[in-house]
Parts: sequence; structure tokens; C-alpha cells
Amino acid sequence: MSSAVAARTEASAAAPGSARPILAATGLSARYGHVEALHGVDIRIGEGELVAVLGPNGAGKSTLLRAIMGLSANSGEVAFRGELLPRSDAVAVATRGIVLVPEGRGLFPPMSVADNLELGAYRLRDKAEFNRRRERVLTLFPRLKERLGQAAGSMSGGEQQMLALGRALMAGPKLLLLDEPSLGLAPRVTGEILETLGLLNREGLAIVLVEQKAPLALELANRVYLLSLGRIVAELNPRDITSHDDLAQHYFA
Amino acid sequence: MTISPSITSPERRPIALRLAGLLPWLFAVVVVGYAMVVGGYAATVVSFALIYAVFVTGLNLFMGFAAQVSFGQNAFAAIGGYGSAVLTATYGWSPLPAMVIGIAAAVMAAAIVGFPTLRLKGHYLAMGTLAIGLITYEITVEWQSLTQGYLGISGIPPFGIGAYEVTSDRGQLVMLSLVVAACAFAAARIRRSRFGRALSAVAGSEEAATALGIDVSRYKLMAFLLSAGFAALAGSLFVHVVGYVSPEVFGLHMVIVTFTMLYVGGIGTVAGPLVGALIVSLLPETFRAFKDYQDLAYGAALILLLIYAPRGLASLFAPRGRS
Amino acid sequence: MKQTFWATSLVASVAMAGISPAIAQETYKIGVSAGLTGYAATVDRAWRDGVELAAAAVNAKGGVMGRKIQVIVEDNRSEPQEAVTVYRKMLSSDKVDVFVSGCVSAGNFAAAGLLLRAKVPMMLCSILPQQAEHLPWAFTTLPPAGFEVEKRLEYLKEKTQIRKIAVLHDPTPYANLQKGVAERNAAKFGIEVVSVDQYKQDDADLSVQISKARAAGAGAILKIGLGGTTLTAAKNIKQLGADMLLLTSLEDLAVFGPVSEVLGDKFFFVASPSQVYEALPEGGLKTGIKAFLDPWREKFKDRDPNWASRGWDGVMLTVAAIEKAKSLEGEKVRDAYETLSGFQGTTGVYNFRPDLHQGITENPFVLATIAAGKVKVVQ
Repeated sequence: MSSAVAARTEASAAAPGSARPILAATGLSARYGHVEALHGVDIRIGEGELVAVLGPNGAGKSTLLRAIMGLSANSGEVAFRGELLPRSDAVAVATRGIVLVPEGRGLFPPMSVADNLELGAYRLRDKAEFNRRRERVLTLFPRLKERLGQAAGSMSGGEQQMLALGRALMAGPKLLLLDEPSLGLAPRVTGEILETLGLLNREGLAIVLVEQKAPLALELANRVYLLSLGRIVAELNPRDITSHDDLAQHYFA
Repeated sequence: MTISPSITSPERRPIALRLAGLLPWLFAVVVVGYAMVVGGYAATVVSFALIYAVFVTGLNLFMGFAAQVSFGQNAFAAIGGYGSAVLTATYGWSPLPAMVIGIAAAVMAAAIVGFPTLRLKGHYLAMGTLAIGLITYEITVEWQSLTQGYLGISGIPPFGIGAYEVTSDRGQLVMLSLVVAACAFAAARIRRSRFGRALSAVAGSEEAATALGIDVSRYKLMAFLLSAGFAALAGSLFVHVVGYVSPEVFGLHMVIVTFTMLYVGGIGTVAGPLVGALIVSLLPETFRAFKDYQDLAYGAALILLLIYAPRGLASLFAPRGRS
Repeated sequence: MKQTFWATSLVASVAMAGISPAIAQETYKIGVSAGLTGYAATVDRAWRDGVELAAAAVNAKGGVMGRKIQVIVEDNRSEPQEAVTVYRKMLSSDKVDVFVSGCVSAGNFAAAGLLLRAKVPMMLCSILPQQAEHLPWAFTTLPPAGFEVEKRLEYLKEKTQIRKIAVLHDPTPYANLQKGVAERNAAKFGIEVVSVDQYKQDDADLSVQISKARAAGAGAILKIGLGGTTLTAAKNIKQLGADMLLLTSLEDLAVFGPVSEVLGDKFFFVASPSQVYEALPEGGLKTGIKAFLDPWREKFKDRDPNWASRGWDGVMLTVAAIEKAKSLEGEKVRDAYETLSGFQGTTGVYNFRPDLHQGITENPFVLATIAAGKVKVVQ
């Protein structure tokens, strides 16, 4: 873990968001059904950064990820590497290399692990690159290798989360959006998955991690946004947060 | 265009299960073979069943593989059937080019309906397809200068290769069996292809598929067009085999029968449409001796099938999760 | 695996049981493809009952050429593809000798090719197939489409001052044929057809068509087609206050009571002889009908005899053809049908010829109305 800590320190040495942003959202609002669940949110993700978005249930965390992805009716602007993303066009967003692992993982339960992985690389036509990615994913998650022929829905929660992450990696993401990867998992499995995320981030992958379990996220993140009732209420350096009370203070500030 | 064949290894399945997977096909071969030997009435029933199998295979692409709903596939069968009938009987074309034009017209009609409606979700599409089914039926009744209304069009020539026309029962059975085998093969290939996996993803979760960069509405449209093509092929086969067509052939009755076939056979499976078409065609004939109780017996048999094989007969022979 | 076994055995038993040939018996077999369910149900059930009644009458007298008649009825659900299946079933499994089939014309057309190949003739309730090569094996008891129309035109010409009429018809083949006759032949009666409109059998309102007819100056409406729409038309005429006569097609008498209550003496209908039996003069026709009507009334009371009477005729014509041919063979019976002339049936006199397979050549119909709850012949 020491190298992880070092990497984090280095990245966060720069002022928050001042790194060249891979993604910048301004005035992002989104509706969820008839309810406006996000009100004019501004966020920036630097290249190679791991940003955590924390907040209680119903704060709009998932909606934020869906809005970036173009999956919900939204207003405001999202720029990816300086280029505006088309509104409400998830296919176009996905094509640019932004990959979402949605709440509940979004796997195809009746399909095999192999087929799920293959669908991750759906837009890839280069066979050599496909094999390279597949090899990489199976090295990261050796357990998937044992279960290639098994239906995704028949695996344990932890394995399914590995598959969801593996499938996202098959797409060759430049920015990974993760919606509560720890949900419903045993602490040991969560640790395993977060460790892998740390590894990927150290290799330079930008990640937005939405979590309810703050301590887990704080350990990995370069920067933290606090979201409450659809608004960003604070932007913090994780090192400044030493206890759960600190977080609570920010919410009520 | 497939990047790699599915790694899902059938060779790792127990041999008994693999053999069980062949049972639906074996059943089909036995039934068709029996009809071929006996001829007559059995040949007629099985011929119609095979034509339905083509139709249901297409329906399965859209409803099973892509998990959409269409109540209007009979419209495309009507377009294919009447295309063939009018071009051959009225304008003296030979069957094959007439069939091709009929199928092309049906696919075009499907594009016109599908393009706007497939962007919508759920019941809008279902309602749209129901409408096109009813409208097409009305057109076949009302456009009498072309379709001759309820009088129907007779004198439609049978299929043939050169001067040889397929008129005998056995000849027609052989021809239809080849067509059905080709359709089933195509369905199996589609299922294992990149396109088929994309359809499965759409069926699993449109949102997850979209997030993976799969253009959901485009794939739904493609599946719809393909299924319309199969329906039109079935419609054309019907008119050339029977030699006659009238609006009732492609009425609401066809929608009900083919839905029953799809669910009895096993929606989403490759063998299901054929098995369903054969069973649903044979069952009422089995109970014909019951006279007034024929429908009752048939209904009871259907209910039993739904209780004991809720996911269809073909799925009984497939290992769970890979149906 | 238990389920697998269950399914396999079910499937196998279906395949085996489905299509076992019937045991051959020394009977003469008449096949009936009838729409016992579906749109033709009312008509075809009556047709079937007429056929069965006739067969029983023939059998009571010892059958035909020493054989008892066996009637095999299959329901074609009023659908052509079902008709093909049941024709096929009766041909190959039951080895039927002749067909006396019902009024689902599309079904009879669809199967016509099969009969040609099997050399089995059919005597129909419906119109004849349109395909020239199918015609030699098909005969019908149906009077020509023009007769119903001409009877009405005749009445208007002779008994009224009305010279402008409207035609209202449904899209069935028989109705279309009649419409064509009305358009072509009205002038012969000095009558002009000022409007022609189509409706559907399930239409619940015909006031648009009727208003149009009135605006065009029509003094009478010739309605061509069956079902509840006759009452609808009557009600619409009354609601619109239109001063028009309504002359409707041949139909089940039960339909006409309510219509007559609405329109009174402005309502007329075409009736077949069996429907107005009591009003007929003594003679060959009345005797012919009596042979049928006595057993019919005994069994079915006051149920309308019209469709059943033609089913009866179908069987009696077949028996006559067999006796004339002195053979039960399909081809010989077919030839004999073509020579039957002067045959007194319940619907009129049948005169078949090799070039004429529609045997009724003289208009047997009458025009009737209902006065004081009783059917009264006016023409």
C-alpha cells in the first residue's frame, strides 16, 4: 500500500482540479422521472485522478454518473478532454472511452462470463487488442478465468462485481465511472476490488468512484466531492478528513 | 465479423445434456419423416407447420433474442404472400422473383413502421405493430382491384426450378424442410454472432447495453426488419404451397397461433420455433376425434404444457441458464 | 431429466396419435367442410344439420346403391388454411367419396386444387371457385347472385314509383357479385343506381352511408349482406327521418322481426321458398319442400329452414347423381351431376349442364314483408 499512498500524495499535491481535466461538467442538472435530482453541479476530474463522490442515500450520486454518461435527460455542459459531449447520447459518450459500471452492475445474468466480457469490447474490432485486454482482465481477476463458461447470474456477488469491472476494462476506458462497487459485498471482497482499482489508477486510469461507505473511498481517493440533495456541498482533500465527524460537519455546514 | 467464438465450451457439458439438446431436432426429423412416408393429410398438416416454423423463427429473433413485442408480424406475412400472389397469378411472374419482391416490400414496410416506433419503449411499439397488422388486413380486404378482397386470389403457381414444379406433397415437404433448416441454421448463427450478442444485451438491459456503446434502437430495428423478412418468406411460401390466398389467411388468428407456438416451443431458443410450430399444429389434429371437445382438449393440453414446461419445450432439453 | 422424459413421451404420443387412418367401412362417405366456428357459424351449422337430416332420410329408405350414407363433418373455423387441412384429412384419412361443403367460399376455393387432383367432386353452399381449371369438379346449390337483386328491382319497377336507388353492401364475395349485378342490370328495370357504398359486418352505425343515399335522391336502399347491420340500417333510416324503403337480402327470418318493428311497411326482404312455405301455392315446389320441412320442424321446431334446405338439396342431388350414374365413383358422379336437370329441390328446380354448374336457373325467390307479425309475400 505504500506506493499507493505515495502516488496519491503526488497527485493531490496539485491544487484540486487544477490538473489538466479529463472531464469537466458545468451547471449539470438532471431529472430522474419528474423529479430534478441534480441541480447545477460543477465537477472536474483531472487526468489520472481518482475522485470519490460521497453522500447519503438519495443525494443524487447515481444520477450524476448517469448524467455524465448521457443516460438521463439533462441540461448543462460536459466536456471530455476539452471537447463537449453530445447531450443524452450514451452511445457517443461510450465511444469516447467513458465507461460506466452502473448501480447493480448491469450484467447480463443469463449470458456466460465470456460473453459478458466480449460485450464489454463491443466496439472493438481489432482482434489482437481484444485478446490483449482479455488476457489482462483474466490476470487481474483470475477467478473469472475459472468461470468463463458459467452464467453470470449464477456467480457470487463479489465475482459478479469483478465481472462488471472486467467487462468495463474490456472497453478500454479512459475514464471509469463506478457506482457503489462495494454494495452488498463482504469486506474482504470489497478490499480486493478496491485494491485493483488502486492499481488501475496508479497505471494512469481516471476513475470516479461513487460510494456510501466513506472510509473505503477516502483511503483511495485523490479528491472528494460531497453531494447532498443534488448539490455539491464540499470539495475536500481526503487527508484533511480524519474522522467521520469531520464529514458530518461538512454536511451540516 | 465475430471477434472470437464464444468460449462457452459445450464440450465441458455432460454428454447426456448434449445429447438431450439434440432431442428437439430429432423430434422434428421424426415428424417430418413420418409425414413424408405417410403423405396425404399428415403431409398437409406438417407442411403448414413448417411454414409457421419459418414465421415463428423470425418472430423469435425479435421477441426472443431482442425481447421486444410485436403483434403485427402477420402484416409482413400478408405483404409477402400477396406480393407473391399478385405478381405470379395476375402478372405472370415466376415465383422466385415474386417472392423476393414481396420480401423486400415487407422489409420496407417494417422499416417505415419500425423507424419511428422502435425509439419508443414497451407498449408503444406493441400498439404500433398491432395497428399495422389490422391496417394491412383492411387493405387486403378493401383494395379489391389488386387483392380481390374476400374472394381471394387463386391460380398461384407452385415453386419450381426451371420447368420442374414442386407440386407433390413429398416434394413440398422436402422443399419446406430445406427452407426451415436454413432458417434454423441462420437463427443459430445470428445468435452466436456479434449481432446476436448485442441483441441479447439489448434483451438483458437496454441501459446497460447503451452504456457499452451498443446502439439499442438500431439493433432493435435490424431485428425487426429481419423478423419481417422471415414473416414475408413464410407468407410467400404459404401462397405458393396452397395456390390460393385470401385475407383471412393472415388475420389475427395467425398472431394468436404463432404466439402460442413461440411460447410452447420455447422463446429465445433456436429449436423452439420449430418444435412449437410442430406441436401446436399437431395437437388440434390429435384431438380432432373429440369433435366438439376438440378445443377443450387442445386448451387443456396447452395449459399442461405451460405448467410443466413454462419456458417452452425446447428449453427442457437445454441446460439452465444457457437456454 | 424427468421433465425431459415427460416431454419426449408427450411429443412422441402426439406424433403417433395425431394421424392414424380411420377404419374403412362399407358406407358412402359425404364430407362436409363447414365453418362451425368463426364468422360462418350460423349459416354453416344450419347447412350441416340439413345435410345430416337428408342423409338420415336417405338411410331410412335403405341408403343409396345399397350403401348407407355416412356424413363426416369437419370444422374449418371459417378459415381457408384450416379448410385445406380438413379437406385433406377427409380425403386421405376418411377417404371421402364426395363433398357437400358449406358456405366458406375462401375455404372451398383454397381446397379446389386438391379435389381436382383427387378426382372428388363437391356440391357447395358457397359460390363456385374462380379458377377455370377448378370448375369441372365444383357444383353449387346457390342461386345466381343476380336473382336476389332482380327480385327487388322487379318489385320496385312494378309496384312503386321509385326509380332511384342506393346500394349498400358488405365486402364478402357474394355481396360484391350482387352489387355488380345491381349496377349492370338496374337500367333494364328503368331504375338508376345513384349511390353505392360499402360497410363492414361489424359496423355499428350506417347513418353516413344512408345520408349519402338520401342526398343522392334514392327512394330505396338495396342492402346486400347478412347480420346485425340490417337492424342498424333500419334504425338509422328512422333516426334520419328518411322516406326510403329498405329491401334486404335473404337472411335468417329471426333477424327480421325487430327490423319490421322499426320500419313497418317500408321494409321488404328476399325470402327463399322454404321460408314462406305456408304462402306457397300447391305444386311441385311445395311438395319438394314438405319432404324436407316435415322432419326439419320435427327436429328443430321453428328454426329458420333456408340454409339447411340447400344442404338437404346438396345430398339429394348427390343421391340422384349416383342413381343416374349407377356408380359411386367420383368421376362418374361428377359426370352425372352435369346431366341433372328438372330436379325439384327445396330451393327451386335445378338444371345442371356441362357448362353450367350453378343449377338453379329460374328465380325461386319471393319478396316478402312482415305484416301483423306474419310473413306476407308481395312479389
